[in-house]
Amino acid sequence: MSKAGSSASETEVTWEDQQNINKFGRLNNRLHEVEDEIKIAKETNESLEDAGNELILTDEDIVRFQIGEVFAHVPKEEVESRIEEMTEKTSKNLVKLEEEKESIVAQMAALKKILYGKFKDSINLEED
Amino acid sequence: MSTSGGLTDRRGIPAAAFVEDVQIYLSQLNLDVNSALAILQERLQQYRVVEMKLLAQQRDLQAKIPDIEKCLDVVATLQSKKGTGEDLIADFEVSEGIYSRARIEEAESVCLWLGANVMLDYSCEEATVLLQKNLENAKASLEVLVADLQFLRDQVTITQVTIARVYNWDVHQRRLQQAAATPSES
Repeated sequence: MSKAGSSASETEVTWEDQQNINKFGRLNNRLHEVEDEIKIAKETNESLEDAGNELILTDEDIVRFQIGEVFAHVPKEEVESRIEEMTEKTSKNLVKLEEEKESIVAQMAALKKILYGKFKDSINLEED
Repeated sequence: MSTSGGLTDRRGIPAAAFVEDVQIYLSQLNLDVNSALAILQERLQQYRVVEMKLLAQQRDLQAKIPDIEKCLDVVATLQSKKGTGEDLIADFEVSEGIYSRARIEEAESVCLWLGANVMLDYSCEEATVLLQKNLENAKASLEVLVADLQFLRDQVTITQVTIARVYNWDVHQRRLQQAAATPSES
């Protein structure tokens, strides 16, 4: 994302402007990280759902459940409750991430307004 | 150098000085535009090198943390089997694609790999404490690292903006000079 202008404008850059620009950069970086984390959380949720479905279909009493690097033989009910626990944890995390994303997007919109307001064409805050 | 904001260096990363006025900045440094731009570009490069290093460290830590959590999970599972008298049966990978079954009897202790070809025996409780401590240290290191990266990226942004402003100032000066050198004929 480019932040520098191409026109030779007279507008002076104050320390406050610089700090706004810095903050925008930080928010943008964090936004990308959060979006990646959201993607992973969604995939994890899907995997857990698939596992849960498989569990319902199987008629075995002992399921091989991965703990660490090995597959331990665990009774079906315990696996069910473990998967439920993991699903809840991932879902909560997903909600938290979505909320963070919303907050970041709002902050970035506010900063854009301020910076475009002062610098107009001299600054570019869009994703290339 | 006209600066403001009072940014101090952070753990070996030099702070980028914020320039209040380009003209004063250049005259204080006694540099022409091209030299100033060259110096700023070099600074930017140095920042990029440090950024690469920090990003690599961050990736390592981010991989280490789930590993430690997995270990904690295993120790907890072994501990939970302790009172029951049951053996833990587990399928493990002998080689890629080849698995074998293991019967793990009541676990008095576990061995923890400490690195540098050293493995030590610990009771389950001690192992949990040690792993927990490692996990907290890793998370704390990651936090510091992330803060370092944020600071670094701020300095990169400041330097990029300074480069743009010096360049623009130069373009502006040339335009003024041209306008003065070629007066319009009335």
